[in-house]
Amino acid sequence: MTITLDTSPPLTPDSAPATPCGPAIYFDGTCSARHDVKVEAVADGLRIVAKRPAGQLLDEWAYAELRRMSAPDGVLRLSRCGETLLARLEIRDPDLIGAVEDRAVTLDRGGVGERRLRRKIVALSFAASVSLFITAIYGVPELATRLLPLVPVSVERKLGEAVDKNVHSALDTQHLGSAFTCGYSAGELEGRAALDRLVGKLEAAAALPLQLRVDVVRRPEPNAVALPGGRIYVNQGLIDQAQAPDELAGVIAHEMGHVAARDGTRVVLQTAGLSFLFGMMLGDFVGGGAVVIAARTVLKSSYSRHVEGAADGYSGALMQKAGGDPHALGAILARIVADKDHGLAILRDHPETKDRIAAINAIAGTGPTAPLLDVAEWSALKQICAPLPPRDATGGRTK
Amino acid sequence: MTAFDTPIASAGAVQFLGKETAYWRLRIKGASLLMFTLGLYRFWFATDVRRFLWSNTEIKGDTLEYTGLATELLVGFLFAVAILVPLYTVFAIGALEFSPRAPLSVAAGVVLIALLAEFALYRARRYRLTRTVFRGVQFEQHGAAWRYALYAVLWWCAAIVTLGLVYPWAQASLQRFKMSHTCYGDLEGSFASKGGTLFLYGLPIWLAVVGPILFAFFLLGTLIDWNTLDVAMARGDQATLAFIEASPGFRAAVGAAFLCVAIAATAAVLLYPLFQAVSLRWWISGLRFGDLAVTSRLKTGQVYRVYLRFILYILLLMLLTAVAGGICLFAVSELVGPRHDSRLAELLATIITVGLYVVIALGASTVHQVVVTFALWRLGLQTAELSGADALNSVRAAGLPSSALGEGLVDALGVGGI
Repeated sequence: MTITLDTSPPLTPDSAPATPCGPAIYFDGTCSARHDVKVEAVADGLRIVAKRPAGQLLDEWAYAELRRMSAPDGVLRLSRCGETLLARLEIRDPDLIGAVEDRAVTLDRGGVGERRLRRKIVALSFAASVSLFITAIYGVPELATRLLPLVPVSVERKLGEAVDKNVHSALDTQHLGSAFTCGYSAGELEGRAALDRLVGKLEAAAALPLQLRVDVVRRPEPNAVALPGGRIYVNQGLIDQAQAPDELAGVIAHEMGHVAARDGTRVVLQTAGLSFLFGMMLGDFVGGGAVVIAARTVLKSSYSRHVEGAADGYSGALMQKAGGDPHALGAILARIVADKDHGLAILRDHPETKDRIAAINAIAGTGPTAPLLDVAEWSALKQICAPLPPRDATGGRTK
Repeated sequence: MTAFDTPIASAGAVQFLGKETAYWRLRIKGASLLMFTLGLYRFWFATDVRRFLWSNTEIKGDTLEYTGLATELLVGFLFAVAILVPLYTVFAIGALEFSPRAPLSVAAGVVLIALLAEFALYRARRYRLTRTVFRGVQFEQHGAAWRYALYAVLWWCAAIVTLGLVYPWAQASLQRFKMSHTCYGDLEGSFASKGGTLFLYGLPIWLAVVGPILFAFFLLGTLIDWNTLDVAMARGDQATLAFIEASPGFRAAVGAAFLCVAIAATAAVLLYPLFQAVSLRWWISGLRFGDLAVTSRLKTGQVYRVYLRFILYILLLMLLTAVAGGICLFAVSELVGPRHDSRLAELLATIITVGLYVVIALGASTVHQVVVTFALWRLGLQTAELSGADALNSVRAAGLPSSALGEGLVDALGVGGI
């Protein structure tokens, strides 16, 4: 029999600082066999002692090497740092858990360190999302404006074609097909010729780098849209509201302002930038582009005023150059705003319409102006959308 | 909730220790943090959830352990971004350049994305398995992810073409692929359930859901004179209407077809829990590790109870958000006053709309995760019976020294193969 030089003989309750010890489960990492062991929390580490061949020392883990692994409530699961094997020690005895936590500082008692780290992560993520929003509102539009001159006209035209397909089918809600566009069937050709004359005068004065394509479509709202690549859609509702050729010319000139400033392409660039920022960097965490929609709405209301104002200014200058009335745009805008039913749609896109009208009226007029179309041409243009042949009971026109 | 929290009579070998209330807390806290960090917190959230689920899953007296780290998921996400950004750019350029041949390039894009998604799913499974430790030995998955992706996409195409009839064999084949490439230490996994079994269990469900739709097509095909209708439609709306007026068969067929589709939709809703129960039982009963075999005693009624509870909670959520949204809108309209078309009002309305949308989406997903996913996880575990579980007692850690930390970068979200 050998005498061990153990300073604290086990199971003597009166020996002064008793070494905490207790039962545990040990897995050695080479085999899934479960070892019932006794763990002794000695001065510099844990001694893992087998129960079956009693007293056999299986392993010794220094306190500094201990790591806490995820475990169910009430269990302390330990691993050894820097170990290639996945050896584990599981302690359920609350007193022993307390004793081990007292001695091993790496165990992060109560998860204080982990909670501090989490708070930091949440705070930084929040800061990152605020910064993303600010970038979306101020950075992306600025970047789009800077990138705009680098987009060649040929690319813009292709982009316009792609957008046109979507916009056309989105606008044609009644599925009128070819009848959706006015000015091409018998009885509408004179109106088309008048429109061409009006647009021709404006185009000659504007000298845009690309060919305009202006069409009238059967939609009741008094509105017009410009797409990238020089495509302009004028709603039938706008023609109905216009009381003079220069009013219509003013709106078309306004849309030409968007074409000249390439606002449509800028919107595409901005949207792409936003989708990239939020969709790509953040992933789709709720399954929808809610953030992109929100950011776009915010952007729209903060930028549309500036862009619309610029297009109004362009319209005024162009109308003067073409010899028309630069204030006619203000007149038709005022009429549309007064018409409550249809006014709302345009208000949503163009906030502070009253300010715009005031700005348009403030443009200095230069002497007398002549209408851009004569009376006969104007009345032909008013008829550009010939009444559709009566359809069946379900699909009649609304107006 | 308390009635639900009482442990279901367990087969004993497998148990779930965690409380549902603890999981609610974890989910609600995570969802709110997701909202304020625009989703950036999701890597930590996912890791917390897995730690909870794994460490409360007890098999033969010992619990699983999840050793994955949130930072690994973050790195994996960055890898995915690095691959997807150029890919999306190519798609965008392609869409601009080849608009006349768009349908073809769209189809190619869909197939490519599907392949990539299946590839990622397989590698993500590998990531989770290699971060699963049980009794000091970890799980492992090998096998080429691109092969799995190819099989999966081909099987899905076949399933779509056959209106789902091939689905059981697709599942059996894909599960076999996954399980035969899975091992726990030196214990090889396999999958024993046969496609034919699932087919037999699923056939009545398929007949009840797809049958009426097929019948509707049959009715429309036989009762309507399509040639005459084509001619009438070519002549214009007036003629089409006249044709409809003239043929009583048309109305009867359309009416019957609508009825059939309604029956199919009702059947789909009513039988969905049954389908879930059947597939879950079939899947769990097929799992094998060496001599260890699992049998599921999951009862269909238990799954129906889960879904009924889900409907109840969703109704409750909708009621709560409706009340909260109403209060918000009222407060804002009081605050803004009569200036309805001001930019402030517009902005506030947008914020409330988006806020409600996010709350509803996150709330519904949280409810689903707790009331359905978590409940099914727990039910699946507690109704599982093990035979030959002694095989688990002497598994040797296999292969290379399997440090869970070392695999980090390459494995995270499984894109190392590219």
